[in-house]
Amino acid sequence: MEEIFNAFIGGLLITLQLKPFLYMLIGVAIGFWVGILPGLGGGTTLALMLPFIYKMTPQEAFPFLLGMHSVCATTGDITSVLFGIPGEATTVATIVDGYPMAKRGEAGRALGAVLMSSLVGALFGAFYLAFTIPIVRPLVLAFGSPEMFMLVILGLTCIATLSGHGKRGLLLGMMSGGFGLLCSLVGQDRQAGILRFTFGQLYLWNGLSIIPVMIGLFAIPEIVDLAVRGTAIAGNVTYGKLGKGVMEGIKDTFRHFWLTVRCSFIGSLIGTLPGLGGGVAQWVAYAHAAQSAKTEEERAGFGKGDIRGVLGPGAANNSKEGAGLIPTVAFGIPAGAGTAILMGAFFLLGLVPGPDMLSKHLTLTYSMVWTIVLSNVVAVGASLLFINHLAKLTTIRSNLINPIILLLCFVGAYTSENHIGDLIVLLVFGGVGYLMVRHRWPRPPFILGFILGKLAETYLYSATTRYGVAWIYRPKVIILFFVILAFALYPYLQKRFKREVISEPDKI
Amino acid sequence: MNFCLALIAAGVILTAIKWPFKTALFPLVIGVSVFLMAGAELILSLMARERKASKQGTLDFQLSEGMDAAVALRRTWVAFGWIVGFFLLILFVGFSIAVPLFVFSYVKIHGKEKWGISILMGVFAWVFFYGLFIRLLNTPMMEGWIFRGLRGIGIG
Repeated sequence: MEEIFNAFIGGLLITLQLKPFLYMLIGVAIGFWVGILPGLGGGTTLALMLPFIYKMTPQEAFPFLLGMHSVCATTGDITSVLFGIPGEATTVATIVDGYPMAKRGEAGRALGAVLMSSLVGALFGAFYLAFTIPIVRPLVLAFGSPEMFMLVILGLTCIATLSGHGKRGLLLGMMSGGFGLLCSLVGQDRQAGILRFTFGQLYLWNGLSIIPVMIGLFAIPEIVDLAVRGTAIAGNVTYGKLGKGVMEGIKDTFRHFWLTVRCSFIGSLIGTLPGLGGGVAQWVAYAHAAQSAKTEEERAGFGKGDIRGVLGPGAANNSKEGAGLIPTVAFGIPAGAGTAILMGAFFLLGLVPGPDMLSKHLTLTYSMVWTIVLSNVVAVGASLLFINHLAKLTTIRSNLINPIILLLCFVGAYTSENHIGDLIVLLVFGGVGYLMVRHRWPRPPFILGFILGKLAETYLYSATTRYGVAWIYRPKVIILFFVILAFALYPYLQKRFKREVISEPDKI
Repeated sequence: MNFCLALIAAGVILTAIKWPFKTALFPLVIGVSVFLMAGAELILSLMARERKASKQGTLDFQLSEGMDAAVALRRTWVAFGWIVGFFLLILFVGFSIAVPLFVFSYVKIHGKEKWGISILMGVFAWVFFYGLFIRLLNTPMMEGWIFRGLRGIGIG
C-alpha cells in the first residue's frame, strides 16, 4: 500500500518537472488541433509523433504522447457540436444531441457541457486506471471470444433499442446495424484472405475506410440541410444568447453529475476490455443516458437536443482513454489502435509492457495517470477560454461556412488512404446517409455495426472454431444474452409499467 | 429502403454460399438476419393501417421541415450538385487549384456574395489548406488528371 502511495505521488512529481511538463503542453497543443480537424485521427498522429521520441527519456516521451492522445477525444467533441462533423471516430455520438443544440442557438451550452463532462470522464478514467490496475487482471482474462462477440451484439442492441421510437424502432435500429455489419464485409476476410465485394478494385482490398464513411454518413446530410435552409447553423439566434450558455452547460454537468459519473464508469469498463474501444463506449453511454429518461416524452427529446445526450458520450469517450491503458500497460494487450501505437513507444524506449510496469516502473505508470489528468485540465481550460469565439462560428451564414466545412470533409476523407477512392466513398456514403435521414433510418447503429463488423467476425469465427456450437451455452454468454434481452425489452416494459401505475392510482 | 436492403442481403447470401466456411460464416449469419428483418419490416409497413405512421421519429438528426417542398427539393439537388462538382474539380485539376476555385465559385455564384468577400474566402481557403496540409503535415495531395495527362505528353 505504501509502495503504491509513494508511486502515486512520485508520478505527479515526475509530470510536474520542467521538461516533462513542457513536452506535455506541446502534446496537448498538437492533440487540440488534431481532435478538432476531422479526418486527422489521434492514432495516425501518434504514429507520426513516434520518431520524435527517440531522444527523449520515458519520463518525457509519455507526457508528450499521452498529452496529445488523451485530449483528442475532448476537442473532437467541439466539431461534433458546432458542425455535426465528427472530429474523431469516438465523438460521433455527441453529434446526435450536440448538433441539434447548436442549431437552436445553444452551441455554448452544448460545448460547456461536453467539455466539462469530458474533464470529469478523463479524471474518472485516470483514477480508475490508478486504483484498478492491481485488481483488473481477472476481468480482462475472463472474457474470451464468445463473450466479446456477445458484447458487440450488446453494444448494437443498446443503440438500436433507443435509436428508433415507436413500435418498429428496434427493428429499424437492428436493420441499420445489420446494414453497417454488411458494409464491413468489404475487403479481404481475416480468416482465409479471400476477397469479398471488392469488384476488382485494389483500393477495396483493405475494406472501406472508416473516416470517409463516417464523414460522408454524418456530415454530408447536415451540409445539404444547411444549404437547403439557407441560414446559419444556429438559425436566426443572436450571438448574445450563444455566449451565455457556456456556464449553463458547465452547471448541467453538475446537475446531472451522477449520470456523468455513471457514463464515465461505463466508458472505463468498456475501455478496459481490449478491442471494443470508444466505438462502443460512446454509444452504450448514450443509450444509458437516454434510458435515464423517465417518460416517453422525455425519451422523444433525445436526438433533438437533450443535454444528457451530450453529457453521456462526452464523459465516456474520455474515461475510456485512461482505462484503455490498463490492458496495454499491465498485460501488453492494446485496447485499441491508439494504444497499439503507444505500445510501439514502449519498445522504442526500452520498456516492456507487463508486470515490470506494475513493479519496477510503477512510478512511471502513475505519471501516465497524472499526464491524462493534467493534459485534460489544460485542454478544457484552454477550450473554455476560446469557447465564445468557437460558438460564434455557428452564426456565420451558410454560404460562407458551407464551402469551408466541405473543404474539411473532402480533405479529411482524402487523408485516410490518400486515394481518389476515399472521395468516392465519401460521396456514396453521403448519399446513403441522406437517404437514411430522409427515410428516418437511424444512422448510429449503422456506424457502430460498421466499426465493429470486422471485430465481431473475428470473435464469432474464433468462438465457433474453438467451441463449435457449444459457445452459446457458456454461462457468461447466457448472462450476456439476458442482458441484451433486457436492454431490448426495457423501453416496452417501462411503458407498460407506467401504464399500470397510472391506471391504479390508489395502489400503495 | 427496406426492399433495397433485402436485395443487398440476398446478394450477400447468394455470393457467400460459394465461399469456404471460414469466409462465409459471418456474411451468412448477418445476411440471413438482415434479410429476415428487412422482409418483416416490408410486410409490417405494407400491413400498417396508418400509412403515415411509417414516419416515426428516430434518435438522429432530422431534415428541416416547414419549407415549400419544391423549393427544398431544388435546393437539395443544387447542394448535391455543388458537392459532386467539387469532387470533379479535384479529379481534374487537383486539390491545390480545386480548393480556392470551389470556395470562390460557391461563395460568388451560389452565395451571391460581393467580389471582395468571395476572393477573400478563396484566398483564405487556399492558405489554410496549403499551410496546414501541404507545408505543416506534408500530406501528399493528388494533382489532377489534366496535369497528369499534360505530364504524360511531355508538357510541364
